[in-house]
Amino acid sequence: MPLAYLVRRLAMAIPTLFGVAIVDFVLLRVVPGNPIAMMIPPGASAADIARLRAFYGLDQPIPVQFWRWLEALLHGNLGVSIDLRRGVLGLVMSRLPATLELALLAMVLAVALGIALGVGAIYWQGRWPEAVVDGIAGLGMAIPDFLWGLLLVLLLGVLLPILPISGRIDPMLSTHFVTPFYLAESLARGEFSLVGSLLAHMALPAVALALPLTAVIARILKSALVEAMSQDYILMARVKGLGRARIIWTEAFRNALVPTVTLSGVQFTFLVGGTVLIERIFSYPGIGNMAIDAVIGRDLPLIQGVVMTFAVLFILINLLIDMTYVLLNPRVRHG
Amino acid sequence: MSDFSRRQFLQTVGAAAAAVPALEVMGGGAALARDANALTIAYNVDLPSWDPTSGPSAVNPTIQSIYKSVFGQFIDQNPDLSFRPGLITKWGWNDDKSKIAMTVREGAFWHDGTPVTPEDVVWSLERAADPKGGNPIQFVWSKIGNFKISGQEVTADVKSYEPALFKWMAFLTGFVLPKKAYEKAGAQGFEKQPIGSGPYQVEEFQRGAFVRLKAFPKWWGGKPAFENVVFKFVTDPTSRVAEVESGSSDLTLNVPYEEYDRLRVKPGFAGSARPITDIGMLFVTNRPPMLNRDLRLALHHAIDKKAIVDKLLRGYGVPIDTLEAPEYEAFDPTIKVGYDPAKAKALMAKAGYSPQHPVSFTIQTTRGYMPKDFEMIQAIAGMWQEIGANANIEVYEIAKHFELRAEHKLAPLAFYDWGNAIGDPSTSTGFAMFSPSPHSAWKSPKLDAMIGPLWGMKDEAKRIAGYKAVDRYIAENGLVIPLLQYAQPILYRQGLTVVPHAAGCILPQTVGRA
Amino acid sequence: MDETAWRRSLGNPRVLFGLAVLALLALAALGAPLIAPQNPLHQDLLASFAPPFWHAGVVPGHLLGTDDLGRDTLSRLIYGARIALTVAVISATAAGLIGTLLGLAAGYAGGLPDAIVSRLVDVWMAFPPVLLSIVLVAVIGAGLEAVILAIVIVDWTRFCRIVRAEVLVQREQDYVAAAVAIGLGPWRVALQEILRNLLPTLIVLFTLEMGIAITVEAILSFVGLSIASGAPSWGGMIAEGRLYIHQAWWLMTLPVGCIIVSVLGLNALGDGLRQTLDPLVRR
Repeated sequence: MPLAYLVRRLAMAIPTLFGVAIVDFVLLRVVPGNPIAMMIPPGASAADIARLRAFYGLDQPIPVQFWRWLEALLHGNLGVSIDLRRGVLGLVMSRLPATLELALLAMVLAVALGIALGVGAIYWQGRWPEAVVDGIAGLGMAIPDFLWGLLLVLLLGVLLPILPISGRIDPMLSTHFVTPFYLAESLARGEFSLVGSLLAHMALPAVALALPLTAVIARILKSALVEAMSQDYILMARVKGLGRARIIWTEAFRNALVPTVTLSGVQFTFLVGGTVLIERIFSYPGIGNMAIDAVIGRDLPLIQGVVMTFAVLFILINLLIDMTYVLLNPRVRHG
Repeated sequence: MSDFSRRQFLQTVGAAAAAVPALEVMGGGAALARDANALTIAYNVDLPSWDPTSGPSAVNPTIQSIYKSVFGQFIDQNPDLSFRPGLITKWGWNDDKSKIAMTVREGAFWHDGTPVTPEDVVWSLERAADPKGGNPIQFVWSKIGNFKISGQEVTADVKSYEPALFKWMAFLTGFVLPKKAYEKAGAQGFEKQPIGSGPYQVEEFQRGAFVRLKAFPKWWGGKPAFENVVFKFVTDPTSRVAEVESGSSDLTLNVPYEEYDRLRVKPGFAGSARPITDIGMLFVTNRPPMLNRDLRLALHHAIDKKAIVDKLLRGYGVPIDTLEAPEYEAFDPTIKVGYDPAKAKALMAKAGYSPQHPVSFTIQTTRGYMPKDFEMIQAIAGMWQEIGANANIEVYEIAKHFELRAEHKLAPLAFYDWGNAIGDPSTSTGFAMFSPSPHSAWKSPKLDAMIGPLWGMKDEAKRIAGYKAVDRYIAENGLVIPLLQYAQPILYRQGLTVVPHAAGCILPQTVGRA
Repeated sequence: MDETAWRRSLGNPRVLFGLAVLALLALAALGAPLIAPQNPLHQDLLASFAPPFWHAGVVPGHLLGTDDLGRDTLSRLIYGARIALTVAVISATAAGLIGTLLGLAAGYAGGLPDAIVSRLVDVWMAFPPVLLSIVLVAVIGAGLEAVILAIVIVDWTRFCRIVRAEVLVQREQDYVAAAVAIGLGPWRVALQEILRNLLPTLIVLFTLEMGIAITVEAILSFVGLSIASGAPSWGGMIAEGRLYIHQAWWLMTLPVGCIIVSVLGLNALGDGLRQTLDPLVRR
């Protein structure tokens, strides 16, 4: 059953991807803009400029450009970055792992903190910790991740400089990574000095990214727990004389999980999207920082490639969330 | 450890001792730093590519420091912009300027250990001249050809005379690359493992994050003070300040002047802010209402450049009236425009404008691309308001500026920063004002007739005099509004000696320990 | 949505807090020329970096000090409310209109229109909103209109998705069948009957979208792409003040505070209204 569902969902993603490709292209090619102007040297002639345009295929009519782009895309070729003069796919692949590790760390943080806060609020329901959790959740949702980032730089990078505020790893460490997944690789190899440096560099951006999601998870989990706690089977458990903590963890939590996963799923895509700005603030070498450079430098192939990559990522994340939901669902009926 | 000489040891200890007060000041943050043998530079731009001779990054002045650390140029440039031998030690024209001769340095090596040969020099020049090679300055390099090698000497025929040819050899794309290693590795392979002949070799490069360099023991220029150099790419100015203040980096550049003034006087830090070859200027485009000479001159006279430098740039900068900075060859101190609000008002009246009947136009500027660019334009707009000119400020990105300029579609006035590290008038006044150049905004046959003959003029004294005359004509007619020469703020921890380079480069091989 | 529901809302502390914030914003926005002590654009280089009132050496007339160009911070914050509210109201209205119309059409008509709109929403949801708005503004060009346009283009789906889902529920209701039975045309039913029942949902979405719009404007200013020409937007003030966090931390922190309070207020208003007005969105 889940397999058939997965196949159906994958099939549904294909027209979406095609649509994304069209929007992506139209957005950046039909709108006026001349990426070549950036690279005209002093003293270049009109012929030099024409040569550059031809080199990047910009002298062709728009439909021809689109067709070529799409054709290349289907072959996994995202074109060549004008500014970095390397294949876009290679660039994306070399930078994406840094972003993924950051986003995953942020998600783990958010889930752990969110669950702790949500459960805590219910455990101490009606007392001051609940009000504190509500306050934190309200603030967490009102302050967007990039403002958190700025505040963290101010507090922990400048006023009390205990954590690094730029980069991914201490440049003086000799690393010799074979994969671009530094954190995973150094964990697997058991090199804990590298793990320490990586985590120290990721700490502030990850917290900034995690806080809004933490707030959402805490709030949804709390209201789902409130609902679950009022169900008959909880009353039964109470009658049986189970402790409050035990009831929350064993009975209510399981049932509160499904709505929490479903509702915070969208928020997780926001977290991934938020890496764009957070990487900028913390000079983190991920795909988002590269995206802003590309936008500022009008590097059309690179912008298109990054947008396409994020779209694929979002579709995959949504797919994952749906699958989680399907996997979790049978357990709901148990209650 | 055996080659770790006593002298180096003493240097290291000295540096460590000098660093102690800084460590105390910064408390916990300093724990993040510091290897006494390493220099960490918080650098303001990312390095896009390792080929210093092709693509847009090759003509990006802000990354030349990194290229100059790893690669050797044909000819080098001193901090005061004068020229000195690089990989060629002697160079010159023959009498009728139909041939050039260059002597290739003996005892220079590539980072793979093989010697730098005249073949490498010829190959690099031929590659640069090849239209398919992607060298943005190809139009200069293609002016020589038919190379001949005899011993260490290389001669070539001049196909068309370019007065600044040897200056270009110290400027953008004027780098020698290794023929054998490049042909073996190919363009992509070279990106992964760049080989130069400069003072430092690439040890590790993480795109978007940092590049770590190691001193090249066989460099012909002697051993630099620091064994390791890290360029950390920190594009955000606030983060760069924090990098140095927290002790994570030893040196940074291009931070806000306010921050520069604050940190410079803090114990444990030092700094320099010397004028560099960047000119903040306003392009005037020949379209209404700027076709009126009185208006153009009035606008120029109404700008209090000294007040802008003093108040906005906190004194860091030099007011300027032509496109030539004092360090440039064609600088003429007698060409003055001057701040004169009364004269400006009179000129406006002559042009038919007054605060009651103001003229309106658009002025374009970047924001945050150069220090205080946008604020400067706001201040200037305020000054113009007094004489009856309403400037509507439009902000764009620098990419947009290039686009509009290439299409001759800039607003009547547009802010830009004109860099000219070699200080030749052809690469400032020439390209900025000659109408066939895609970089000019004021296009007029009169100006073209004046500049045209100067391009290939073989008598150097006459050429410089010619450009001075052009600059005077431009100033008298208000065809461009130069504002100021920028100063580059460099901040570093105490205990370092930094030689500011007038071209705005941060060369790690010139950084020492006090 | 009867009168008692509204009255119930006014008893809700969240709604009251939200309304108070909104009223304050509106007051600052509309009355800016009367309230602001100075012209927000007037610069005085001699009086730059004047400290705020809690520091020694405060310059008379500049209660919250001045920025790097000597412009009055308080006046800029007040005029900033004007830009924030303009962006919030116009973009939330436009995004709401487009999203609601498409959602109504898709949900009520079903079939091909539904398939097209749903596909479009799917495609849109695949783009990261922040990156998309940055790319859009870079492409359209900086300025207030560009920012509003970018927010509308990115955010209409927020309305569309929920309206479509609600319409799917509503059109099965008896009152719709009754309206069709008395011979009302499909558009009349959709626009009059269903829309009336969707109003609480729309009001909630509208308040939340206003908060989002204020945030997005700040994000675009931060990247350097928002309103040009020195107009006092909070986002622009954050971007400028950030350069001076060491010597004048309030220049960045004050506009950050304004954004946080506004978004907190709008979120609280939306939440409160959701609790009191709207049995449909409430989950």
